Amino acid sequence: MKKRGIGVGCMWYGIGNTGAPNPAGAFLDFLEDGTVLVLTGCADIGQGSSTALAQIAAGELGVNIEDILVVAGDTGVSPDAGATSASRQTYISGNAVLLAARQAKEVLLQEAAGVLGAAASELGLGGGYVWRGGERTPVTVKDILARCRQKGKLTLGSGWFNPLTTGLDEAGQGVPYATYSYATQVAEVEVDTETGKVSVLRLAAAHDVGRAVNPQAVEGQIEGGCLMGIGYALLEEVKVDRGRVGNPRYAEYILPMSLDAPEIHAIIVEDPEPTGPYGAKGVGEPALIPTAAAIANAVADALGVRFYDLPVTPEKILAALTAEGDHKSPDE
Amino acid sequence: MKPFRFRATVNGRPVDLPVDPRRRLLDVLREDLGLTGTKEGCGEGECGACTVLLDGRPVNACLVLAPEAAGCDITTIEGVAVEGRLHPIQEAFLEAGAVQCGYCTPGMILAAKALLDKDPRPTDQAIKTAVSGNLCRCTGYVKIVKAVRLAAARLAREEGAV
Ligand code: FES
Ligand code: FES
Repeated sequence: MKKRGIGVGCMWYGIGNTGAPNPAGAFLDFLEDGTVLVLTGCADIGQGSSTALAQIAAGELGVNIEDILVVAGDTGVSPDAGATSASRQTYISGNAVLLAARQAKEVLLQEAAGVLGAAASELGLGGGYVWRGGERTPVTVKDILARCRQKGKLTLGSGWFNPLTTGLDEAGQGVPYATYSYATQVAEVEVDTETGKVSVLRLAAAHDVGRAVNPQAVEGQIEGGCLMGIGYALLEEVKVDRGRVGNPRYAEYILPMSLDAPEIHAIIVEDPEPTGPYGAKGVGEPALIPTAAAIANAVADALGVRFYDLPVTPEKILAALTAEGDHKSPDE
Repeated sequence: MKPFRFRATVNGRPVDLPVDPRRRLLDVLREDLGLTGTKEGCGEGECGACTVLLDGRPVNACLVLAPEAAGCDITTIEGVAVEGRLHPIQEAFLEAGAVQCGYCTPGMILAAKALLDKDPRPTDQAIKTAVSGNLCRCTGYVKIVKAVRLAAARLAREEGAV
């Protein structure tokens, strides 16, 4: 028989560790031709940080993203940005790039202030122009760059960000993170009571990311996290046999593949974090944290039996159903 | 072992070079021909990162010995773009956000190409089946399926325009 169930999983997750120093830096050079060079130690391993950092620099300097050249994770030239881990880079390196961009922008605005006879604080940059009090002026960013160069002024910036290191007390307690991400996922599953196989039919995943710098990339992170969460819930188990990994290949360590992928509805919730770049927090790990709980709850909803041990394999389900059946009369 | 003459067509160009017959097609492509777009993931036929087309069929280049590919028409990811213009499947992958780390992408695109070449209007299930030999650890396959669907629609339109 096939039984369906629905389950919910919720989580909160710290972003920007404050228990230990956690800095990242960035250098930025606004070149005369309008290209912006961003040097960051942040390694993009597929989460899209180079794109997000380029967007942050472009947003602050009012140029197109095509004009930003990100040199990332080259220890020969880029400043330290710490590890791409702990869902921290958008928040921490994002802030470092934002500060570096602001520094370079300040040089431009000072110069523009002289040209327009205005205070630098009234001015902004956008679409390649200098703006004054919300109105576009005829002065272009390139004009200002050229004027700076004529005077021998470079338009450089550097920035670094470290969420206030508070440390923890002897008991390991205190304020461990600068901010938190929140998420709720709902899973719908179908369990085959004859084979014990669980199919995840649909997942809805709502994530508060503060502000989605790149919504498409955030969706990608959420969808990928959901799929990895399905693996964690139902399939993936490292079998260790006397100190050796007993299943070191994909034929034995089973990952969810395309045919296991359910309908995934990624829902981006934006509650801007005041200390984040444009309000952004992180989503990398949060994307997979509530998935297994949601699925296990859905399986419990379908079968009326709870599982406390992941992955919930067909073997475990059949064993539980058999044990259950032993307690019931056959015609119940 | 004595090298043999590996003659084949790779991305439309004739290739003729001496190759140790014990070597894999994957190594000939990556090392002798410098076509490093083809990735090695597992090296044992399980992940699909090394997918190339052999006479239009997707194969795991890590499981094909060089002599088996001799005389064949081989397409790698480097041969998918035409005259510097991205193939509609590549465009669709970019637009749909179907690329995260990119390691599975060359294989995914070739698997998708093999599908669309013979089934221009695939269902989502057919798309998922076509890439079921290609593991992706980054995405949830949502945007990959979407990209292939998008590419199919565009190719159909292009076809219609001709
Ligand atoms: S490298 Fe060939 S299938 Fe994994
Ligand atoms: S994009 Fe990273 S494995 Fe598919």
